[in-house]
Formats: sequence, C-alpha cells, structure tokens
Amino acid sequence: MEGFLLGEVRQEETLSISDSQISSSEFLHIVEVHNHEPCAQLFSFYDYAGKVNEENLNRILKDRRKNVIGWYRFRRNTQQQMSFREQVIHKQLTNILGIPDLVFLLFSFISTANSSTHALEYVLFRPNRSRYNQRISLSIPNLGNTSQQEYKVSSVPNTSKNYASVIKEHGAEFFDKDGVIKDIRAIFQVYSALQDKVQAVCAEVDQSERVKEKIQEEVKKLKEEISLRKRITAAEERRHQESLNTENHSLQDDSALSDSSSPPSLTRVLLQSPPLEVSLDWPPNSTALPLYPAAPPPAPPSAILLPRPQAVGSPGHPSPGLGLGNGDGSSSDSLNRQAIGQEDQLEEEEEEEEEDEDEDSSEYENLVSERLQSPSLTDTAVSLGRPAALWPDGDTHSSGGSS
Amino acid sequence: MAVSAVHLESDAFLVCMNHALSTEKEEVMGLCIGEVDTNRIVHIHSVIILRRSDKRKDRVEISPEQLSAASTEAEISFNFTHRLAEMTGRPVRVVGWYHSHPHITVWPSHVDVRTQAMYQMMDQGFVGLIFSCFIEDKNTKTGRVLYTCFQSVQAQKGSEYERIEIPIHVVPHEAIGKVCLESAVELPRILCQEEQDTYRRIHSLTHLDPITKIHNGSVFTKNLCSQMSAVSGPLLQWLEDRLEQNKQSIVELQKEKERLIQELASL
Repeated sequence: MEGFLLGEVRQEETLSISDSQISSSEFLHIVEVHNHEPCAQLFSFYDYAGKVNEENLNRILKDRRKNVIGWYRFRRNTQQQMSFREQVIHKQLTNILGIPDLVFLLFSFISTANSSTHALEYVLFRPNRSRYNQRISLSIPNLGNTSQQEYKVSSVPNTSKNYASVIKEHGAEFFDKDGVIKDIRAIFQVYSALQDKVQAVCAEVDQSERVKEKIQEEVKKLKEEISLRKRITAAEERRHQESLNTENHSLQDDSALSDSSSPPSLTRVLLQSPPLEVSLDWPPNSTALPLYPAAPPPAPPSAILLPRPQAVGSPGHPSPGLGLGNGDGSSSDSLNRQAIGQEDQLEEEEEEEEEDEDEDSSEYENLVSERLQSPSLTDTAVSLGRPAALWPDGDTHSSGGSS
Repeated sequence: MAVSAVHLESDAFLVCMNHALSTEKEEVMGLCIGEVDTNRIVHIHSVIILRRSDKRKDRVEISPEQLSAASTEAEISFNFTHRLAEMTGRPVRVVGWYHSHPHITVWPSHVDVRTQAMYQMMDQGFVGLIFSCFIEDKNTKTGRVLYTCFQSVQAQKGSEYERIEIPIHVVPHEAIGKVCLESAVELPRILCQEEQDTYRRIHSLTHLDPITKIHNGSVFTKNLCSQMSAVSGPLLQWLEDRLEQNKQSIVELQKEKERLIQELASL
C-alpha cells in the first residue's frame, strides 16, 4: 500500500541565548505533513523495473502535485530500510517532481505469534541527504497536557486596599454584566461554530460513504455476474471439448478465469492450483462465487477469483482451517494479512510483488499433489468449474455442473 | 471461559487510534461496543469515548460500578440513537474497554490487570484493549504504535491476577460506518464538556479576586484553543479530505459500473 504525502516544508528560526550573552539562532527544517493521497493500488505510477510513469503520476496527483513533499509505503514484516526499487523510484520522483528534499515514510507492521499484540512502526527518511543523516523524527501534534492544574483555586493573599480597588475597577473590563468573563463566551462561540461545522461535514462524509458502499456493492455484483456467465460458458465449452476427446484446455481456462489486466505470468502460476480457501471452506453445492470466508480482498477487484498465494498459513501447506486465533503465528496467516483495516487492501499484492514467482510455482506443485489425496475437496473444486488440467494424470472428473 | 479472539472492525479501530493519539500527556479511555458470537469471538464494531471525571496522568480506569453505570447508559443511548438493534437485528452491548499508554509499554500494568479482572467478574467475556503510542526509538528514529488485547486470570484462588493474551484482528472495512463517524466527532465535544465542568467548579469559588478570575478565564480560553487546534481542526481536515476522496472514488466507481454493465450485456 502506498501513496503520496502532501504538505509544506518550512524553516523555523529558534533563538537561544547562551552564557556568553550572544544570542544564537538555529534554523530548524520542518516538514509538515498535512494529508496524504493514497494510491488505489501498487504499481500505479511505476512498473516492475521501478521506472516511474509521469503521466500516471499526474493522473493520480492532479493539482495536488505542487503540495507533494514525499511519499509513503506500507509493508509487513520487513526491515526498516528502503528497498532497492524504492530508492530507484525515489530518485526519479525527486527529479520529476522537482523536490530536492523529497521524503519517504516507511510503515512496517509486525505481530506476535498469537496475534494478540501488533506494532505499526514508521520511519521517515530523507534519502537525498547524506547517508548518515537520513532519518528524521516524526512528531504527532496532539493535545499535550490538558490537565486542569493550571487553574488557580485560590488567590495570592493580598491585604493592600489599593491593589484590590485597582484590579476591581480596571479588571471590570473583562467581565460582562453577569460576572462572566467575556473571553469565555467569545471562545466558546468559536468552539461551538467549529463543532457545528465538524458535525455538518461529518454528515456529508457519512452520506458519501453510504453512496460509495452502495456502488461498490453494485460493482461487486456485476463482476460476480460476469464471472459466473464466463464460467458457465467456459464449462460448456469444456464439456464440448471433452466430448471431442481432446486435452486442449489452456485457452478456455484462461479466458474463464484470468483477468486481462494482471500480468500473464502471474496468472499462469496461480492457475496451477485450486484456490485453497475455496476448497476447504466452500460448501459443495453453493451457488455463490469463491469469495473468501473472511472479508473479501477489495482490490484488485477483478482478481477475486485468483487464488491468493499464501492465503492459508505458511508456504507449502494449507492450514487446518481459517479459524481465527488458530495459533498459526506465521506472518502469512491469512487473517493476519487481511487484518489491519482498510489501508491494507493491497497487502496481498505486496506479497506477490516482493516474492520470487518461481518460488510460488513450486509451492503450488506441492499443494497440487496434496490436493489429490482428498477427493472430496477436488470434487468441490471441480463443481466450481475448475479446469480438469489441475490433475496431472489427466483425469477428467465428472463435473456436477457449475452452479 | 476465556474469549477465543477479538475482531475489531477497522473503522472502530480508527476511532480508537484517533482517540489514543489525541494526547500524549494523559491516558484516554473508552468502551467497546459489539457482540460475542457462539465461537467466543468478540466482535467490536464501534467504540464510545468516555469522559473522565478524575484525570490523573498515570491512571485512567474507572471503578466497576462506574463502568457498569457508564455501560448501561452507553448501551441505552447508543441503541436509541443509532437503532443498532434494528439495523443488525440483534442487541449490541459493551463488550470491552480500551485505554491508551502514551510513552509507555503496551503491556497492561498490575493495576490494569486487576481492573480488568474486576470487570470480568461482571462479564466473563469482557476484554481489554491497550493502545501504546508516542513511542520513539531515538537511535533509529523509528516511531511505533502498538495495540494489544488481554483478559485477566487468577492462577489460583487468592493469588495475583495475571494477564492472558487474546488474539486480536482488525477486520478490513472499505467504508467508515455512521456510528464510528459519530463517535469520532464526539471527542472534541467531550473535551470541551470536561473543560467546562472544571471551569464551572473553579468559577463557583467566590473568594477569588478579579485577577485570579481573569487568569482562570484565560486558562479556559487557552485550553479550548488547544483543543480546537489539536483535535477539532485536524478532525475537520480529515473529514474534508475523506469527503473529497469519496467523491473521486464514486466517480471512478460509476465509470466502472457502466463499463461492467456494458460488458455484461455483451456476454
């Protein structure tokens, strides 16, 4: 998950007076992050080689380009270092955006084995500076101390009559006819107006969230409908092919299951095994589509049918179930990966990006052979219209017909 | 029996984080609203920010009686205001509490563990969440925010309470629920109410001279300004940005929807 940091960079002069009575000033370089522009998905402005596409960049940033002060990335279980590709991208962004001191904010997420405790770490880098000066502290402005200890509960004792009369006479300015400090009313008005505005915008946000949810639901249903139709067509074509006694399967399968927008090599690797979660948890006669038992991965939307490489426990073996708190402490525990909120929608893509795809295919081969040992599961898989090609011995299972 | 796991909806998580990050000088506290399913999994889908009547830097817990009263009140007003029961078809209730540990380790203190144990006496399924923030490793300049979930258990009768770790997972949610949005914007209101209450108590002291009264008025003004710039302001900014992002998403989603409709028609 990644995006851009928008804000402002300024310098503040801090004065300090030293013993020698000469006031010295220090210039403090302050980077203010005001807000962020999230990217809908990874690789949206660069490719696998790390080459930045300026057109895409402008499309994402639009008129916010002038406010960019940095970019950010979220990764799981990785070191707090910039990866090589990130460095390459950073250099290009520096040049393209013309920001000499572009910053990079790296988020890293780690959890304990039993998922009871999680940590989100963040480091702010200034990669364009010298090697030894690259990290900067990130401070989060907050309320600080709101304790009421600053209120005075008693006055400093004073018996001077002059004192009493002067402060009473001139201090009267501050009080209104009810004896209330005027400032109090004034500041309360400011606060009140602000809170009203917060409520109003909140209501607008709520409405927009509902509209967004509704359209997302509609889009999801449309996609389901489309993939269902495609699978029905594919299953029919396959039956036709089977009846002609050929083993030509690759093309139809690809069209049924692949998503044209994902890189072809990845699609091929993933298709070699049935979606594990589906096999384990999907009721055989279900008419619904292979959505994940836990929250469905929201993006990339069209890849919903593609099995997730490490969705079930550590590589090489499926986990017994997707029960939560299953004690599987591996970092690739599916729920753990899907955990952490809306920001993590693209976390799975992250894994795909960072792993060697060759490794993935060998894992799948292991998984495929395990699949063969559990016929009930393969039947399930078949009923969803999986290609017969999954089983190397070329067995064609009688398909119960896709639902 | 101990709870098996906690599922925290991401928008509720957002409200907790926002609350925890609102101040680094004091611990903040709130209640978790949701339900427990038949697998002993606690589902938290919203939170209520609590007012503190006694703000001490190092302690934040309220007594079980206070908690019970606050919970009942919260549940009633919550269900009434949001008609959650109608929406979900089931009653929702307070299922746990959360508090923050600014600059402190995420693990519950002895007091926290004992407090949790007391809450569990009223409700075995009650869970405790702790958010640790404003942690920075000066050497690596790495900032950290942690959260953990726990319950308390007594090894033997009469022995000290110990914490047991409960797995917690944040459940992704693309949209932010209405209930969570409303909880989030409660924070400035609660802070202002706390300030007003304090000021009223001070103001009622009649023996203060005008200078002291003016001083106290300034403290109120200063504190309210602090709240506005550190809490209300950023909240408003975040809401506006979110609104803008949603508008963009809606436009793009509309386009995709039309494209899909066409694709479906062609099949």
